[in-house]
Amino acid sequence: MTAENKEMTVEGKKEIQSKKEQTIPCKVYSPLTDIMETQKELLILMDMPGVNKDQIKVKLEKNILEISGQINTAKYGDYKPIYTEYNLGNYTRSFELSNEIDQSTIEATIEDGVLKLILSKVPEKQPKLIKVG
Amino acid sequence: MFGNLTNAFERLLSIQDAVESARDANYFGLDTTGFGVTPPIDLFKKDDNLILVSELPGLAKEDLKIEIKDNLFRISGERKLSHDKETSVHRKERKDYNFDRTMKLPFKVDPDKVEAKLEDGVLTVELTRAETDKPRQVFVN
Repeated sequence: MTAENKEMTVEGKKEIQSKKEQTIPCKVYSPLTDIMETQKELLILMDMPGVNKDQIKVKLEKNILEISGQINTAKYGDYKPIYTEYNLGNYTRSFELSNEIDQSTIEATIEDGVLKLILSKVPEKQPKLIKVG
Repeated sequence: MFGNLTNAFERLLSIQDAVESARDANYFGLDTTGFGVTPPIDLFKKDDNLILVSELPGLAKEDLKIEIKDNLFRISGERKLSHDKETSVHRKERKDYNFDRTMKLPFKVDPDKVEAKLEDGVLTVELTRAETDKPRQVFVN
């Protein structure tokens, strides 16, 4: 009976390797996202710890949904790091929406660092029950 | 007969799992950190106090437990993600967490003077050094 050799993997944040340079000196991460679908809406949940609702920007242009969240680095100003396992950074991610989504009724709420986006589907695309006469 | 064999192995495996996870969580306080790196913790120093910061998005205060003893800091909690049965999942990157991690601090802290805040998914704990642990200067006659 041998113990499995588990390789130690550090679950880190996925840093975005961007070809474009930023004007603000800050790392940018891609937040972990869950995308789920019900019959009438698409649900997107994103983990963005350290971001509150004043620092979230959700932009929809053409069919691209772009989400970006800023963290507040001011409070770390006079802290001296002794031991760190993770880096701080802003978050950004974009998605391309299909035509099924009704772009005028997107709801966004953020709580405890988790952003929840509810994208309703266009009424014609929702499944209809057809009554048999 | 096979039923009995399975039971014996299950018992042994579950004991082994429990010991391994206790070792991973560094319950015995041997290293600065256990092998399990959930959740990632940053330790800062401000004046003579320690600030411990960790990212725990979506974690409710009730599911978080913090214990302090001398220079050991233990944090445990869990977050379970759930969705309705009628929901179909297209992408799942966020994980449930169930963690129990003990960390060794550079000095002993006073458990009565600890302030912990969980805001926007970030846990910030301010720890003050125990009075008995501060070095005292000795004057030579």
